[in-house]
Amino acid sequence: MPIKAMTQEWMDAYKAAIQADPDYKSIAKDWEGSVSLVVNPEPARNVPEPIYLFMDYWHGDVGDFVVCDKEKADSAKFVMTGDYARWKQVAYKELDATKALLQGKLKMKGDLPYVVRNIKTVNKVIDILGKVDTLWPDGNK
Amino acid sequence: MAYDSDLSFNYFGPTKIVFGANAVRDVDIEMGTLGGTRAVVVTDQGIIKAGLVDGITACLGGRCAGVFSDVPQDTGVEVVNAGAEFARKNGADIVVSVGGGSVIDTAKGMCILLTEGGTLRDFNGVQLLSRPQTPHMVIPTTAGTGSEVTNAAVIMDKEMGQKRLLVENFNVPRMAILDPKMTEKLPPLLTASTGMDAMTHAVEAVHSIPHEPLTDGLALHAIRLLYKYLPVCVENGSDLHARGQVQIAATMAGWAFGNAMVGIVHAMAHSIGAVAHVPHGIANGILLPDCMEFNLEDAADGYAMVAEAMGVREKGMDDSDAAQAAIRAMREFIRKIGHPQKLSEMGVSGKDIEKAADMSLSDGSIVNNPRIVMDPAEVLEIFQKNM
Ligand SMILES: [Fe+2]
Repeated sequence: MPIKAMTQEWMDAYKAAIQADPDYKSIAKDWEGSVSLVVNPEPARNVPEPIYLFMDYWHGDVGDFVVCDKEKADSAKFVMTGDYARWKQVAYKELDATKALLQGKLKMKGDLPYVVRNIKTVNKVIDILGKVDTLWPDGNK
Repeated sequence: MAYDSDLSFNYFGPTKIVFGANAVRDVDIEMGTLGGTRAVVVTDQGIIKAGLVDGITACLGGRCAGVFSDVPQDTGVEVVNAGAEFARKNGADIVVSVGGGSVIDTAKGMCILLTEGGTLRDFNGVQLLSRPQTPHMVIPTTAGTGSEVTNAAVIMDKEMGQKRLLVENFNVPRMAILDPKMTEKLPPLLTASTGMDAMTHAVEAVHSIPHEPLTDGLALHAIRLLYKYLPVCVENGSDLHARGQVQIAATMAGWAFGNAMVGIVHAMAHSIGAVAHVPHGIANGILLPDCMEFNLEDAADGYAMVAEAMGVREKGMDDSDAAQAAIRAMREFIRKIGHPQKLSEMGVSGKDIEKAADMSLSDGSIVNNPRIVMDPAEVLEIFQKNM
């Protein structure tokens, strides 16, 4: 049963998928620090308000995975911001996250060299995100 | 070379180019086209001593808001903060940088602070800006970095012990004035090594994963021009025609790698630069042929185009043959321009390359290399061949 994207239930499913992944722990062993995703609203695609998602990653473990407010999102070590359509492209792996950053399709507050050093972790969590059975607000492809 | 049928890319290169011998004399007129009324000139002591700034400030006359010349070899957060403070105090509304990579990057940082306020530590991230920044005109005094047309700047943060990388599409220089006279006095070794930085940008733009037709076109013509004219510049620095062609090539290569990115050569050059202070262009030049060899199987079609650009692809050669001809020609080229051949000549030790090999794997450039690199031992082997 697909889960509505960017809801708490979806965040729970995402967290569970990461925990269940056999390779995640070893790939992400060096990563420390929270990441928040800010989804810019796109009313035409049924995303009327900004959505803030906060995820805590720590050396292969995962902590808080919550839909939150702006203040909590801003407190993350890395804050990534983009339009809803861009995030959906990332989830569908139509858009490479690092490339999107360099092209200005996504913005990021935080240390880029750190992200690049840990690019395998980033790619892994995106990979897992793509596997969460999701119902997107503007429909699935 | 064939491109994927689902090819998709963004190409971004908004910088206006003004080219010609004595083109810097138009600096005041060109500044007006960007809406600038008072220019702060950013440069370093060496450039001032070489007499390259006087003519520019004279042209600017009363519209020169002052000269900020405290830029060291590798710029830092404090330098940028001080430069912005100086510019603000003197009422500058446009930044004119006259110099090489470090000067240009300093000016890029200053443009952000002049528009957004604060200090550079407030801008830690990628593509954070949401409006155009203070206009920046670049007058390069080397032909290599390509920084005059890219969205990136590297600025050392000594306090944090790390380099800050600024990547901002809203902060690409608005204009570059390429005046061959500005590079006329560059000594042969510096001419060769900065030229090899440009050559490496071009070759890496061709082999990198995000390469596309526009960046290929720019990179391959840059290779053509560099292959023909860089040796002339090394031989006779005052050949302004050759100097100009190399400047144009460096800028084209800048557009190419600014969009297509770079790969393993830069990852290794950044690392050995950090560990053993090998100048960037020299490290690139030394490492380029063996890195091409390393990538051969994954980039043969790209290197075959490089061979064509160099004029060394002979009839009957398949891509792999042509790629190998390109690598041979590149080795010969580096010798011909009197470029250093080995890292050991630069005082690099066995310990240094071990450390640098490890670092290379976490350099941002490595993710764009056509051959996937997972093991530091592979990188170490390339370093060892160049000791
Ligand atoms: Fe370079």
